[in-house]
Amino acid sequence: MIRIALIIGMVASCTLGHATTIVIGAKESVTRIKDAIALAQPGDTLLIKPGIYREGNIILQKPLTIKGEGYPVLDGENQYEIFTIHTNHAVIQGLKFINTGISSINDLAAIKLLESQQIKILQNKFENTFFGIYLANSSHVWIEENELQAQAEFEHQIGNGIHLWKCNNITIDKNKVVGHRDGIYFEFVTNSLITNNHSEGNMRYGLHFMFSNNDEYRNNTFMNNGAGVAVMYTKEVTMVNNSFIHNWGSSAYGLLLKDIRDSKITGNSFLENSVGIFMEGSSRNHIQQNKFYQNGYALKLQASCDDNIISKNNFQQNTFDLVTNGSLVLNKIEANYWDRYEGYDLNKDKTGDIPYRPISMYGTIVERMPQAILLWRSFLVLLLDKAEKAMPILTPENLMDVSPAMLPYDFN
Amino acid sequence: MFSALCWIVISCAVKPEPLLYGRDACHTCKMTLVDRKFGAELVTEKGKVYKFDDLNCMLTFYHSGYEEASAFKFIQVVDFTNPEKLIDAQNAWYLKSEDLRTPMASEVAAFESEESTQVFKKEWKAVLLSWGEIQTQFK
Repeated sequence: MIRIALIIGMVASCTLGHATTIVIGAKESVTRIKDAIALAQPGDTLLIKPGIYREGNIILQKPLTIKGEGYPVLDGENQYEIFTIHTNHAVIQGLKFINTGISSINDLAAIKLLESQQIKILQNKFENTFFGIYLANSSHVWIEENELQAQAEFEHQIGNGIHLWKCNNITIDKNKVVGHRDGIYFEFVTNSLITNNHSEGNMRYGLHFMFSNNDEYRNNTFMNNGAGVAVMYTKEVTMVNNSFIHNWGSSAYGLLLKDIRDSKITGNSFLENSVGIFMEGSSRNHIQQNKFYQNGYALKLQASCDDNIISKNNFQQNTFDLVTNGSLVLNKIEANYWDRYEGYDLNKDKTGDIPYRPISMYGTIVERMPQAILLWRSFLVLLLDKAEKAMPILTPENLMDVSPAMLPYDFN
Repeated sequence: MFSALCWIVISCAVKPEPLLYGRDACHTCKMTLVDRKFGAELVTEKGKVYKFDDLNCMLTFYHSGYEEASAFKFIQVVDFTNPEKLIDAQNAWYLKSEDLRTPMASEVAAFESEESTQVFKKEWKAVLLSWGEIQTQFK
C-alpha cells in the first residue's frame, strides 16, 4: 500500500511539479503576454517570440521565467509602465522595452519591482524609457548585461536608468546606461555591488549614491556625464578601479564626495574632469593609488574635511593639483607623485628630500576670485607663485607632502 | 527719462530668481536641481540668491548662521502642484509623509493653498504642517 502511494506520489510530482513552457507569439495559441501570465503556474517559463507587443501595463505576481527570443519588443506607447513586478523568484531575460509613459508625479518604468526578492533581470534592452529598471523595497536582485538608452532634451522628461530605493543585496553588473537623468541611482541601498558598468552621457550623474552604506563599486566607467558621480551622506563605501573620464562643466566633478565617512577610494583614474575629486564634510577616507591626469583641479579639499589620508597617488598635468578654502590642515597628504615637484633626492631613496606644497598661490586666489583665471599662464602669476614659495603668506603653510615620490607610480 | 529711471530702479531691485532646473546646483548639497516639484530659494536684503533642491537643504542653511535669519528678504518654496512656481514659504502649507520621495529625503511637499493639500493628504496619509512646525522638524 505504501509502495503504491509512493509511486503515485512520484508520478504526480513528475507531471505536476514539472514546469511547462508557454510559447507566446502571433502564430502561437497564446498571443498575449497577459494571457500567458494568467494561464501559467508558478515556476513556468514564458517564451516570447519576436514581434511587437502592445499590452499596456503588465502586472506579474507569480514566480515565472519570462524569456524573449530574438528580442521581442514591448511597447509602452508613451503612456504606460510596462512591467510591474511583485513576486519572488522571477527572471526577465532578452526583451526589448520601448517608449514608456512620462509622468511628473509617478515614476513610470520599463520594469518596476515592488517588494520583490530573488529576481534576475538579464540581457534586456531599453529604448526611450522614462525610468529603465526601478526597484523599491527589494532585495537579492541581479541586474546584468542590460543596455539602456534614452534621448531626452530636458531633465524633467527623463528618469534614472537603474533606480534603487530602499534595497539591499543587489548586484549590478555589465550594464550600459546612456542618456538618462542619473545613470545609476542609489537611495537607502545597502550591501550591494556595482561592477563593470558603463555610464555615459547622462544628464546629471553617472552614478548617484545617497544614504547608502556598505556598498562597493568596481571597474566601472563614468564618462561625459553632466556632473560626474556623486557619493553623498554615506559611510563605508568602497570605490575601486573605476574610470572617471571627461566630466566637464561649471559644476561638474569626476567624483563629488559630500559627508562621506570611512570609505576607500583606490586605484581609480580621473582623466580630464573639471574637478577630479571635490570633497566636503568628509572624514576618515583613504584616497590611495589613484591617477589624476589632465584635470582642471585634481583635488578640491574643503576645510570641512578631516582625518583623510591622501597617499601614493599620481598627480600629472593638472591645471591645479590641490586647492582648499581654509588654512586649517587636518588631513594627511604623503608619498604622492607630483609632476610639479622641483625638489631633489640626494640620498637616493626615491623620496624627495624637501617637502612639496601642492597648493599654489594662484590657485588660492582663483578659489577666492574666479575671475582671476584670466591671468593663467601669465608672467605675473609665475612671479607670484615664486614669491609665495619663498615667503608663504596666503597658502596654508602646513599643507604639504613631506615625502613626495620622485617617480610616478606604475599602477598598471 | 523718468520711465527709464524707473526701469533702472526696478531692474536693480532685490527679487527672487527662477530656479533653472538641470543647471542650478543646490547651495547645501551641491546636487543639480532636477525635480521641478521641489525646490527652495533664499534671497538676502542685499540681493544675494541661494538656491536649494529640497526643503531640508534650505532649512539647514537657514539655521546655519551663515547669514542672519533677519537678512533674508524672500524665503520661497516650490508649490508641489505648480512645478517650478516659487511661493512664500512662511504662508505655505506643508505635507510630510514617508510615501513622498523628495530629492534629499525631506519627505515634505509645499502647497500654496490648503485646498490643494487635501487630496494628497489622504493619498499619502500625510501630516499637515505650517512653516513654524516645519522648522522644528529639521532643527
